[in-house]
Amino acid sequence: MIKVMKLVNYFFIATAILVMAACGGKNKSNASLAGAGATFPLPYYTLAFKTYQDAHQTEVTYGGIGSGGGIRSLKDKVVDFAASDAFLSDADMKKMPAVVHVPTCMGAVVLAYKLKDVKSLKLTGDIVADIYMGKITKWNDQRISSINPGVALPNKSIVPVYRSDGSGTTFVFSDYLSKISPSWKSSIGSGKSLKWPVGIASKGNPGVSGTVSQTEGAIGYVGSEYAFAQKIAYAQLKNAAGKFITPSLQSISAAATGDMPKDTRCMITNSPASDAYPISCFTWLLIYKDQKYGSRTLGQATSTVKLLNWILSDEAQKLTAKVNYAPLPKKVIDNAEAQLKTVTYGSTPLLK
Amino acid sequence: MNDTIKIRIVKDKIFFGIICFLSSLTVIPLIAILWQLLRKGYRQINWHFFTQSAPSTLDAMMAQASGSLIPGGVANGITGTFLMVGMAAIVAIPVGIFSGIYLADKQKGIYASVIRFLTDVLQGTPSIVIGIIAYAWVVKPLGAYSALAGATAMVIMMLPLIVRSTEETLKMLPESLKEAALALGAPYWSVMFRVLLPSAFGGLFTGILLAVSRVMGETAPLMMTALGCTAVNWNVLKPTSAVPLLIWQFYNDPNLIDMIWSSSLFLMILILGLNLIAKQVAQKWRI
Amino acid sequence: MRQENISDLFFRRALFVASIFILLICAGMVYAMVSGSWAGLSKFGFFHFFFSSTWDPTLGHEQYGALSFIVGTLLTSVLALGFCLPFSLSVALFIGEYFKGKKVANVISSVIDLLAGIPSIVYGLWGFYTLRPLMQGWGLSEQGFGILTASLVLSIMIIPYAASLSAEFIRMVPRQLKEGAYSLGATHFEVVRSVMFPASGSGIFASYVLALGRALGETMAVTMLIGNTNDLPTSLTATGNTMASIIANQFGEADGLKLSSLIALGLMLFLITAVINFIGKMIMKKFTV
Repeated sequence: MIKVMKLVNYFFIATAILVMAACGGKNKSNASLAGAGATFPLPYYTLAFKTYQDAHQTEVTYGGIGSGGGIRSLKDKVVDFAASDAFLSDADMKKMPAVVHVPTCMGAVVLAYKLKDVKSLKLTGDIVADIYMGKITKWNDQRISSINPGVALPNKSIVPVYRSDGSGTTFVFSDYLSKISPSWKSSIGSGKSLKWPVGIASKGNPGVSGTVSQTEGAIGYVGSEYAFAQKIAYAQLKNAAGKFITPSLQSISAAATGDMPKDTRCMITNSPASDAYPISCFTWLLIYKDQKYGSRTLGQATSTVKLLNWILSDEAQKLTAKVNYAPLPKKVIDNAEAQLKTVTYGSTPLLK
Repeated sequence: MNDTIKIRIVKDKIFFGIICFLSSLTVIPLIAILWQLLRKGYRQINWHFFTQSAPSTLDAMMAQASGSLIPGGVANGITGTFLMVGMAAIVAIPVGIFSGIYLADKQKGIYASVIRFLTDVLQGTPSIVIGIIAYAWVVKPLGAYSALAGATAMVIMMLPLIVRSTEETLKMLPESLKEAALALGAPYWSVMFRVLLPSAFGGLFTGILLAVSRVMGETAPLMMTALGCTAVNWNVLKPTSAVPLLIWQFYNDPNLIDMIWSSSLFLMILILGLNLIAKQVAQKWRI
Repeated sequence: MRQENISDLFFRRALFVASIFILLICAGMVYAMVSGSWAGLSKFGFFHFFFSSTWDPTLGHEQYGALSFIVGTLLTSVLALGFCLPFSLSVALFIGEYFKGKKVANVISSVIDLLAGIPSIVYGLWGFYTLRPLMQGWGLSEQGFGILTASLVLSIMIIPYAASLSAEFIRMVPRQLKEGAYSLGATHFEVVRSVMFPASGSGIFASYVLALGRALGETMAVTMLIGNTNDLPTSLTATGNTMASIIANQFGEADGLKLSSLIALGLMLFLITAVINFIGKMIMKKFTV
């Protein structure tokens, strides 16, 4: 009796599985793409890919597993594209077949702080570097109060907050500090995860902003889209041209004026442009230059390149501003499109 | 003589008091957490929650601006969780129970001790390491993230609980039960399925339930195997979403962070439902 | 007669095959971890890596060592087990013995089982928003994060595993054993102590081993509450890090030597779990003989 019941159960489950698998096969879309990588542009990508999906009958999946995870997935050829906040270094490029970097949008790293009665705060790169190195420990330190006339800074300890997980945000932040402060560069340097001398570690943007908002006297670096959406207090930063800039979509885009390299790989921190916010950055999507690898079909390759081309289009770029990311300036889009045109399947270029 | 008895009775009452006291203390953090979930999450749960896929950050932003509820739901996560947990359960439950029976039978012997030992060690492996292993074993060879890989990771996580609870429960059954059945001339497999396992159902079910509850709430291994998906996906060879993955996505999104609570609340309700159904079934089968 | 023998043979074979699964999985895992960690371990040397507490990811002078994480993991897991023991044992006795079969036992049992299903992120968030201010308010910890906070949340997380399973085993103690003791004049407490614990001891021990395993491997909740400093923790309220936490934090972005070191950490966690289990079994043997 029990045996019969068990058999019936298994049969039922097996049929259910078959039905489900069959449903999966009857996909109305003609292609499906998978990408993985940075969590920084995750909100924008989920929105962008959803919009693309509805209009172009192509299913696009994106997993925010971290830039490193994305690059590793691309190396292992288990995704169609990778997303990264840091472009591949020359050394890394040598370890893989040729890769094309396509920038998709811009963002920035802002300094969020929690001080009860301080409505606006001005900081410079030096001061920030010294705060994180433990050299400046009180809010009413002479260096901070001298650039904030009229603001009553309390005699409280500064609690710096940094990222515990490896992150592109840390990379951009430390890249900026290395450019500003020689002592930072030699003692801590730049990278996705560093050996921080002082402060509290928190996981992810939500962790850092959560810790900052709950700790009086804390200061932490967060991704701009996060700060803008959560409406937390952030500081104005002095840029290379000497002006104090409030991070905003305009000041972020302004950092990408000037010469941009053809392969679009460049860090735009500490930009010399007069209205630029100094800790701005790009984020890229990476694909192999020659799409004919493994068992990849021409159709799959064409869909991938079409998607990346769409990301550079007006429609996609307009979406960025809606969700607190900055759109790419024209020059960068032109460079990116030129890069995309070099992507081939075997010997046939995919974009005409 | 009287005094010794009095002391023993007092000890008994004190012990009882301590048990009740500590038990009620234990319930406090549980209620606290569940209360938080309810309070922050109940508003979001409606019919749409079950049938629509995860919203994008723009939907959430616009909803917040207009003061309405965030649209969308976690349908892609629900179906994905069901798919992967279902696949994992189909493999893990039989394998786990059979291994448990094997270990319960062979109490002595090096091979059995090694297996028992390894099972306990497997339980201590961080879920992310299991995810990494499943990535190397399934994702890389297949060339894509897939629900199958996610299910593989889940199987590895479920096995130790099922194996050990089966083994220990069977060990606790009185020998007389097995011997009486065998004395009636029944073959061993029949004794197992018709006498021993039904008696052991309570322990088995608890182990299975704990295992299923655990994998339903794990994020890290799924990130490296199933990746996630914006739409409902039933294809086992494609990337699939799951409720914990969605929770992770919501956590990292400044506009969607409020959805975490409702998603967790949903997961709770699901597990409670499973629990109750399991208990009903166990009642029917208990001797 | 013959048919029974054959079906029994198949059955026993099937049991054996099922047991091989675990062996294969573990062997495969060990192999994958050893090959992945080869680069790191050969560079730093196994023992040096084990005992070094430096973790410096700065390019140019990368130095990795496991000690701070090993200490962090052991501290949090053992503390968590210690905290949860009295509570889960009480609950197990409550629902398995004292109020067995009554409505209140069913309710508490369901509530405890629910705990097992709460995603670890939610535990982390609850700890972050609720427990952390409490810790700061009670003066136990200055920044609220730390080994103690993480251990407290961990102990809550492992209660269902310990309590639910132990309750089952306690429930299964044969009535005759208990009644025999009662008939000799034992009080309820004495029956629990002298009859139930020895009878269900093996099962209870197994459930605590499983709970400990869960604590050793817990990632998300710990990483949100432990403070993530990669140095040896100086006190119980200091911040620190565990092996699972740092692997989870850094794996997404790691490459080369760092990746290899992280996998080496995974391997070490595996070994440490094995050692702890082994010690536990030795202790059990002493008590049951």
